[in-house]
Amino acid sequence: MKAAVAASLLCKTYLTEDAKVEVFKDLSFKIGKGKFAVLSGPSGSGKTTLLNIISGIDKPTSGKIVVFGEDLSIKDEDFLANFRCFNIGFVFQSYNLVSTLTVAENVAFPMEWIQKQENYMTNRIEKLLEVVGLQHRADHFPFQLSGGEQQRVAFARALANDPHLFLADEPTGNLDAKTSLKIVQILQKLKTEEKTVIVATHDEQIFRLADQKLCLEDGKLVNLNE
Amino acid sequence: MSETFFPINDLLRRKLQTSLTIISLTLCVASTLFLLLFSEKIGFGISLMVEGKLTSSFSSVFSRFIIFVSFLVFTVGALIMSFMIFLMISQRVRDIGLMKAAGCTNDLIFGYFMTELLIVTFISCGLGVVLGITADFFFAGLLNTLGFQVLQEPPNFWIALLVFALYFVLALILGAKPVLDSAKLEPVKAFSPTHYLGLSRESGFEVFSKLGFAPKVAMRNLFRRKSGTFQIIVCLTTIFILVTVSIAGGIIANQTTKDWVEKAVGRDVVLIAQKDMINQYELSLAKFHEVKEDSHFDYSDEKYSIPEDILSILNSTEEITDIDERLVLKTHVEEIQTYRIIPETGATIPVGDDREGESLIIGIEPGKALNNWFLEGKLLHEDQSFEAMIGDSLAQKMFSTPLIQGIRLFDTDFAVIGICLDPIENGNVTYVPLKTLQEITGKPKPNGVMIKIDPSANRTQILSQIKNEIGSINFEFEVLELNEVLDKNLGFLSYIWSSIMFLPLFALASASLCLIGYVMLAIAEQRQEFGVLRAVGAKPKTIIKIVLWQNFLVLLSSCAIGISSGVIITLMILVSKPLVTIYATIEITGWLLIALVILFILGVYPAVRFAKKPILEIIA
Repeated sequence: MKAAVAASLLCKTYLTEDAKVEVFKDLSFKIGKGKFAVLSGPSGSGKTTLLNIISGIDKPTSGKIVVFGEDLSIKDEDFLANFRCFNIGFVFQSYNLVSTLTVAENVAFPMEWIQKQENYMTNRIEKLLEVVGLQHRADHFPFQLSGGEQQRVAFARALANDPHLFLADEPTGNLDAKTSLKIVQILQKLKTEEKTVIVATHDEQIFRLADQKLCLEDGKLVNLNE
Repeated sequence: MSETFFPINDLLRRKLQTSLTIISLTLCVASTLFLLLFSEKIGFGISLMVEGKLTSSFSSVFSRFIIFVSFLVFTVGALIMSFMIFLMISQRVRDIGLMKAAGCTNDLIFGYFMTELLIVTFISCGLGVVLGITADFFFAGLLNTLGFQVLQEPPNFWIALLVFALYFVLALILGAKPVLDSAKLEPVKAFSPTHYLGLSRESGFEVFSKLGFAPKVAMRNLFRRKSGTFQIIVCLTTIFILVTVSIAGGIIANQTTKDWVEKAVGRDVVLIAQKDMINQYELSLAKFHEVKEDSHFDYSDEKYSIPEDILSILNSTEEITDIDERLVLKTHVEEIQTYRIIPETGATIPVGDDREGESLIIGIEPGKALNNWFLEGKLLHEDQSFEAMIGDSLAQKMFSTPLIQGIRLFDTDFAVIGICLDPIENGNVTYVPLKTLQEITGKPKPNGVMIKIDPSANRTQILSQIKNEIGSINFEFEVLELNEVLDKNLGFLSYIWSSIMFLPLFALASASLCLIGYVMLAIAEQRQEFGVLRAVGAKPKTIIKIVLWQNFLVLLSSCAIGISSGVIITLMILVSKPLVTIYATIEITGWLLIALVILFILGVYPAVRFAKKPILEIIA
């Protein structure tokens, strides 16, 4: 299996004013290209931190994280930004939509700075909003949307540049069953398109889609498939 | 939770926002106080420099300038203060909404945030006063060691107290309204960015979208945060008015006042007179830039009269283009009271008094005088009229409404028809027609002649020829080129303006600090947005570009309004009949461009610093 993500001896430690908090230590794992991986574990186990490291938003304290053949732990900010822009779509737990941009603009901006044609962007936004079922909300601001709708906009934004790796942090954590189902459907579509997907979740519906199940607990990673 | 415990804890936990607000307000108070203290010192320095020198009109240009700049400095400070308070409170509207949603009463919320405001403004005003006084003391010492005449004495603590009190009260008044408004806001509205950002949807970024991602986002950010953008533009506009008035006003006033002096004395004018008379005339002209004791000099002595032979030589020299014969005397003069009739009632009211004093009296041939005065009223135009033109200092010292009054000299009454700016005898001068003066004094001969030589002729050769010919007639008569004393007068004006020009320099420094404060607060306010952009794939330099575009657009719109208003104020209010040469225009444009570039570059620093932060730190 060709690995999309390969981590070896990954450690992350935070220094606070009066203590040293070790999030995880010596994590090693591989996620194959086109696989759907689910990351579970109790709150505070380091799922978000691990996703941040995989996306290059955060750096490990030690160890190596290789994504599509690039060792992100040693790359500079410009490389990482470009890498994220072209290869990674990230849906944050708290959505992180830009409050001053409309739904359409939020979806558009990852495409804007790689200078996609105006026509291409318009069509792409239309298509993505259709996928997430929010065509009618294109001109609304995030604060005018419900939590579920905001989550779906975050999905559309993450898919804007058609990334090879899709990361989602608790995408259904704050949503009702009906809205969760919509999110699951989007994830299922990604799976059929053979995108590499890593989702941090406790949602049973998403677990069912998984090719690979990982569990973070007490700073250690357990491969539930084994 | 007590009404002081919550605010103190809240301020301490929001270290970044609290310290940014305190730093910005402190800089604002400090720079305003510094500029007021410093301009007061420059003002005193100048008044010491010009004591007994300069004519009244020149002095009034300086004082008008300093007063206006001080007023602007204070206004700028107040505007920046209001802007900072606005930002501080607008950042908390969402929190206020949350507290209300949790069941906190309006009174309690108002109490909490007013206490926060009180603490922040008290600390900022206190620190600002200390910093302002220190900066003033330091720079006054520094400039004195560099040879500039800046009064070095303990700072005026009354000004410090006034600035502290005014800004403290102003901040509380300005802050109370948004706090009250926010406290009254329904929680649901308080959560909405429409309220705390003034968010609105505009289209029309097409032009900017063609320029690329950064300008488009920058333009959008500015439009979407329109209340904040509007405030900073107003703020920076006032700063640019201040900088423009200081720079353009300084340069234009410098050139204009120099032009007044140059035209009044005349460039390349040569005086021919008896040697003592020459010394005395030179002394009278030099009174503009240095204090001279009045020594007794008998202008009416016959030995000073220009011999006919000398006049003949001058008249027969082809290269002499202009000859201006003068009879210079000094005598006792009196103001003549007059009456004005009120048309509606027919009643008369007296104008003037019966003030008296001494004045230099110069008889000139109307139309032949080589001076080209800056004038209020009319020039002398008739040979034998009883009309007089008086210097501005005499007009101010001895007359109420000079142009409708008269002046009595040699027991003869003259109507005042003009007031001229003339550095001779420091403006204490009266010009009357030569023939009239000769008749009333019984002195038929002039005692001085001014000449101008054809510019195409060999000046040195002609002067030497005239000197020789005059010397052969009477060795006591000499030739003096007035350029030297004229240049000293002009140099003195330049020296005063160069002292004043420290004001724009410091105004610019203060503006830069305020801009940095604004950029830091603006970035802090947009950090979530920038963090998301970075997380989704924007490079640090993209964020820097966006901030720079925002700064550029804000600076451009502010400087366009500020500079044009500053120029209008300078030309219409500060300097009457200003002289604006191409050289001055280029100089002003150059300085203003430098100011703009400095402000822009300084605004880069917070952006660069911010862009280097880790993404998680930005989002958190």
